[in-house]
Amino acid sequence: MTTLIRTSTNRVANLFVTLLPALFVVLVLIGMILSSIDKDPALAARNFIEGAIGSDARRADVLMMALPMLLCASGLLLTFTAGLWNIGVEGQVTMGAIFATIIAKEVTSDANSLLVIPAEFILAMIGGALWAAVAAILKTKGNVNEIFGGVALNFIATNVLIYLLTGPWKSGTYPQTAVFEQPALLPRLMPGLSLSLPAILVAVTSFVLVFFILRGTRWGLQLKAMGKSERSAYLLGVRTSRNVLLSMMLCGALAGLAGALLVLSPIARGRLLTGVSGGVGFLGVLIVMLVNTQATWVPIVALFFAIVPIGTLKLQNSMTLDASLGNVFQSALVLAVLLANGIRSRLQKSASIK
Amino acid sequence: MRVELEHITKTFGKLRANDDISMTLEGGQIYAILGENGAGKSTLMKILSGYQPADSGRILLDGKEVAFETPADALAYGIGMLHQDPLDVPVLTVLENFALGRREGLLPNRRAARAALADHANRLGFLLNPDAYVDGLTIGERQQLEIVRLLSLGARVLILDEPTTGISAEQKDTLFKSLKRLVADEGLTVILVSHKLEDVEALCSHVYVLRQGKVVGQQAMPCSTDRLVALMFGQSIERTPRPPIERGPLVLSVQNLSIPGRRLVVRNLNLDVHAGEVIGLAGLDGSGQNAFLRACAGLQPPTEGRIVLVGQDVTRCGYHEMVRRGVAYAPAGRLEEGLVAGLTLTEHFALAMPGGAWVNWKAAQQQAEKRIAHYNIRGRPESLIQTLSGGNQQRTLLALLPSDLKLLLMENPTRGLDVESARWVWTQLLDRRAQGTAIIFMSPDLDEIMEYSDRIVVFFGGQATLVDDPAQTSVSQLGQLIGGKAV
Repeated sequence: MTTLIRTSTNRVANLFVTLLPALFVVLVLIGMILSSIDKDPALAARNFIEGAIGSDARRADVLMMALPMLLCASGLLLTFTAGLWNIGVEGQVTMGAIFATIIAKEVTSDANSLLVIPAEFILAMIGGALWAAVAAILKTKGNVNEIFGGVALNFIATNVLIYLLTGPWKSGTYPQTAVFEQPALLPRLMPGLSLSLPAILVAVTSFVLVFFILRGTRWGLQLKAMGKSERSAYLLGVRTSRNVLLSMMLCGALAGLAGALLVLSPIARGRLLTGVSGGVGFLGVLIVMLVNTQATWVPIVALFFAIVPIGTLKLQNSMTLDASLGNVFQSALVLAVLLANGIRSRLQKSASIK
Repeated sequence: MRVELEHITKTFGKLRANDDISMTLEGGQIYAILGENGAGKSTLMKILSGYQPADSGRILLDGKEVAFETPADALAYGIGMLHQDPLDVPVLTVLENFALGRREGLLPNRRAARAALADHANRLGFLLNPDAYVDGLTIGERQQLEIVRLLSLGARVLILDEPTTGISAEQKDTLFKSLKRLVADEGLTVILVSHKLEDVEALCSHVYVLRQGKVVGQQAMPCSTDRLVALMFGQSIERTPRPPIERGPLVLSVQNLSIPGRRLVVRNLNLDVHAGEVIGLAGLDGSGQNAFLRACAGLQPPTEGRIVLVGQDVTRCGYHEMVRRGVAYAPAGRLEEGLVAGLTLTEHFALAMPGGAWVNWKAAQQQAEKRIAHYNIRGRPESLIQTLSGGNQQRTLLALLPSDLKLLLMENPTRGLDVESARWVWTQLLDRRAQGTAIIFMSPDLDEIMEYSDRIVVFFGGQATLVDDPAQTSVSQLGQLIGGKAV
């Protein structure tokens, strides 16, 4: 018998029922791909795991890699809860990176990083939030679906980035800025490891903030109501247009922070490059879809997703496998989980008929 | 087609919506499933029409056991259901809605669909413009479209869930005539889910009565109304006399108002409403009552005129500003625009409760328990709102209204409710009236308008006529006004 009232333990169980089989299927799939090109899957797996979490330095890299994803996914938790498919998150990351660079590229070697870094973060948040506000206003005032507005704004953001890097901000022959001075970059917690305290702090704080907004605040409940029925929520007194703007801007601000980390963190290059966002916003979308908009699981899944690029880096070097294998893995996993969810609910339905 | 239901049981959480229900329905007959709200009528019909599976029990069609996974499955077996809120696609035209679900090749054959639509509509005596958009139709017309669509897809069993709520008297006549013809000439089985005794008496040859998820009786028609009422409620009900009016200060003053409606413009409307007054809006479906209510709620800006609330001009105020000033609006489509499907009762009360940035879940839970008890809602704080019956959803909607209101605007306050629930709703509304709330409501039910209104505004063709003293006016006089004849 199925009950319509789902408890949270039920949800956790559901996640495992779908996640584990999906993971297994995807691993078998990857194994088959490797075998077909005469690579040993077992060796690849060993290399992958060693490359991802084989040393303190690697584990630190994984953590730092996970932070921008965590930021994007946290922001997207808000918009997805409100029923807003903020696909423009990728452009908001790019804008955050650009806005952080406005300060970073002017910083001299004798500047005080205690002032510079907060300023960079704040500007990055403003950049991301403004870009998200454009999508939100297009939606509320112009009736443009946030998905289409977001896709268009992603293109524009990319082109603004290319314009800056080939024009006013260009340094040297390549489309990139000069490397920023030390005070502009996020400091390492200890030498030899890429861990950076400010990066960890902003990402974890942002996630905790979102978690509590959704769990305990009136605003979080309003977003949930909007996501289920905007019309009813409006009549129940929720200011829906304002909440669309606010949730999009907050998501944009967190995406902007992610953009700043992608430029300034110790695992970044310390300069603004083309393609700086590198799909981290889309990965955020995948993460939130994977966890079915349940905040609790986001950090773990973000860490899991961060293992992939770090691990495939090692595969690339030691086994001459292309890094895109990592993307195949991530995307196939999300697809498999969504599929497993669909199959599960179908099975439940037919079971309850009998 | 002969339909047999055997030992159907369905539970929602701890709620037993259907409890071991068995019944046999023969072809060529019109059956009524009668019962008060929450008796399990809609649940049973949703099971029969494939919208949801039963927990246990069997369905037999002409003696053969069947199982449906989807409404399309059920329709393939010949069972079609007409829902209380027609399930059509509002942004498409009548023809496009009709063509949806037709089994044909890859490319829809518009000409054939158009011919089939005209054919079926003529047969039933319905006037449907194939190129009209569905969102511009009245509920009655959308119902006709749905019936035509179901029949064209081969429905041999037609289930109608509260079909006469929200449609005009003429539309009801047409509907009943065509249903009787379908049954007599073509041997269809028609199942009418209703709590309206007059409809049941006018239409049905056999009645099954449900109470709290069980079949408590069946009865061949005709029989006395008292007998049916006794079966439904276990005892006869009597009306309570309404307390006398105490007109308070002026609450709402509407001056020379013009509002664009769905198909016509309401012009030059003047009305003063005092505290403690109940104003009933009568008129055929879509004559402008709705536009007027929405204008008063700030949901639809008038093109001309002024709206004054307690001495302040609020003509240009939006809905949320009106709410802040003590106006509430309760829409007819409960799950579309009143309640949020997917949220629990506790979450609804938390949403409606005033308070700071943080939700006090404990207080919200207590509040939910208190209101569930006070408003006699059959549900639990953690129940999802869509699992409640229509009547209990309406109770929830009332329970969500703030306590000190200046003006309460209601579309069809007792839509889809049985006599008992309707009476209970009005007890609540009259309580509010006694506390000085002015109430404006619209209803297609003339008896309801006559019984509860202190004054009546009749809408016809964009004109509003004020009836000052309902006590001196007969139902037939009112009916003539509604039909556009001056008395």
